[in-house]
Amino acid sequence: MNTLSTNTSRLLKAGIIGAGRMGITHFSLLGSHPQVEVTAVAEDSSLVSSALGRYRPDIKLFGDYQKMLADEKLDLVLICTPPSMHAAMIEACLAKDVSVFVEKPFTLTLAESHRVLQMAEQKNKASSLGLQVGYVNRFNDVFMKVKQLLAENYIGKTLSFRSEMFGRTVVQKDSGSGWRSKRENGGGCLYEFGSHAIDLVVYLLGKPEKVMGSHLSSLYSAHAEDIVRSTFIYSNGLIGSLFVNWSDESCRKPTNKIEILGEEGKILADQHELKIYLKQDKGPYRKGWNTIYITELMTPVPFYVRGNEFTRQIYHFVDCVLQPKQNNISSFNEAAKTQDIMDWIFTDSRMNGGI
Amino acid sequence: MSQALQLDDLILGDNQFFGINHMSQEKAQQLAERFNDLNKIYRAYHTAYDLGIHSFMLNSNDKAETICDYFRSHKNEFKDLVMYPSIPYPHKYANLVAEKGILSAIQDVISGQSAWNLIGMAGKSIGALTGDMTKVMEMLIDVEMKIYRKLPFKVVYLQNIITDLLLGLKLKDIFIAYCQYIEKKYAATPGFLTMNIPRLSAFLQECGIERATICGSVNKAGYLMSPDIKAYENYFQKPQIYPITAMSVYASGAIPPTEALDYVRNQGIKSVVFGASTQGHMAETLKLVRR
Repeated sequence: MNTLSTNTSRLLKAGIIGAGRMGITHFSLLGSHPQVEVTAVAEDSSLVSSALGRYRPDIKLFGDYQKMLADEKLDLVLICTPPSMHAAMIEACLAKDVSVFVEKPFTLTLAESHRVLQMAEQKNKASSLGLQVGYVNRFNDVFMKVKQLLAENYIGKTLSFRSEMFGRTVVQKDSGSGWRSKRENGGGCLYEFGSHAIDLVVYLLGKPEKVMGSHLSSLYSAHAEDIVRSTFIYSNGLIGSLFVNWSDESCRKPTNKIEILGEEGKILADQHELKIYLKQDKGPYRKGWNTIYITELMTPVPFYVRGNEFTRQIYHFVDCVLQPKQNNISSFNEAAKTQDIMDWIFTDSRMNGGI
Repeated sequence: MSQALQLDDLILGDNQFFGINHMSQEKAQQLAERFNDLNKIYRAYHTAYDLGIHSFMLNSNDKAETICDYFRSHKNEFKDLVMYPSIPYPHKYANLVAEKGILSAIQDVISGQSAWNLIGMAGKSIGALTGDMTKVMEMLIDVEMKIYRKLPFKVVYLQNIITDLLLGLKLKDIFIAYCQYIEKKYAATPGFLTMNIPRLSAFLQECGIERATICGSVNKAGYLMSPDIKAYENYFQKPQIYPITAMSVYASGAIPPTEALDYVRNQGIKSVVFGASTQGHMAETLKLVRR
């Protein structure tokens, strides 16, 4: 039984599973939070764990996450491992009544995400847990503003959209050694990049009724896709396209772009910049094109490591652990929608003769 | 290092040359295109130097070696040059780490380096160092600092992604070891780039670090200033242990020059690093800083 709502003065005890790039980033962010102490890390890399052992002797190290969950009394756990391990780890945390933040994608398959969701719902009847998936764009200043503009009906009824993500993560033939190169481990462009681009659609416009014309293609990866295309169909007539490529050398860092056309105007947005076209003057915006830069939208965060959205994401999770009744912005429920869509795309692409 | 650090009043940064603009991808792309030809970067450095800006901050990115070669081979034209290296180039490591994991990424960068062989590690895996991160860090610093060989510098900055990551992780020993190594091996002042000036400053004091310098965003928009502008203004009102260089003073172009530099001056800051790509902008900033 979770007793935090009645006792919020003590520090929350946090554990981290997987101290890779994201695990270390979240560790650093949690380290700045006044109401959290990271007390345990489960990591099987000997370099990382021996370095932590030497420089942070206050933290208990485990080679196996199950042992960490068994031995430590934790309030929250961050799961930052390859996606193929997510479902089992979430279930183990839920069984212990521990709040969970899991990196994206939520799980590997639709079946897994539904199973986890069901267990989470049952658990939440008895105890209130904070449960969140790492779809960080939901905490980006620009995309939050887009959400607000849509809610305030600036561009009217939405008609069509395009959601894209490009980056240079894989630009040469893979050696096949890392987990990212194999789909069964949660590698490939759809899980890594596509999940962000799809989640942005779910966040801003909701879940489509079906997908069509999906195609996965490979440029460099031997066991996974590098490019994903698909068309999203909605029952209200909205239609959109997804185009994702993680083998685009021209992009300095991974970038999401979204374009939404409505009856009254159009929105173009990426992580840094927002443009809105309006048929008529509305609120602070003129008829025609308006550019809103991140410097105008940005609200400060208590501690900055890799971008405001990363801090905001983790602090929101902690808030949801402290006050479980509040609405989680990137809940398991929302992430399960993206998981469904990814599953549809895999199936649709196979039916179209793709990989 | 026996004498006190004298930071230059105006330092030309390098983001504008490498397609980095926090405000707009489009702007970033335009700049990347404009400076695609290294000769245009050299010309911009000459322009700055001839105007009287003799200090350049340069991140150890994939073009830095070639740019430093240019300075080395044109030393007569850059007689009073002072470099402000910032290390490492995080994207290099980020991509390697994403592809191979932390272990192999570090291994890739270090192995084959002479220091690696010197400590008897030739042919061995980095895992054999059993977590001695200070040793690994020293070797990584040496790899990065080779880029700036034979060029004059007085500060070596640790890039902000790394500084702030280590700050959140509270790795005191690493901060202390970084400072000691930069002072001992490079006879320079250890510097830190950060988006969290007040927190970093308090932490460096906790570490017992006496000599260091901090470079971070300072602008009246509160842009890239964590936790918030109020905390920065309070911090600047108190006497400071670590000399400060302000960056992002124009908040990527959101603040007009006079207003921007008045704000920095009013905070008592005497050193600014800025990005400009035209003679007009360089001259304007120089005039405002030295007025």
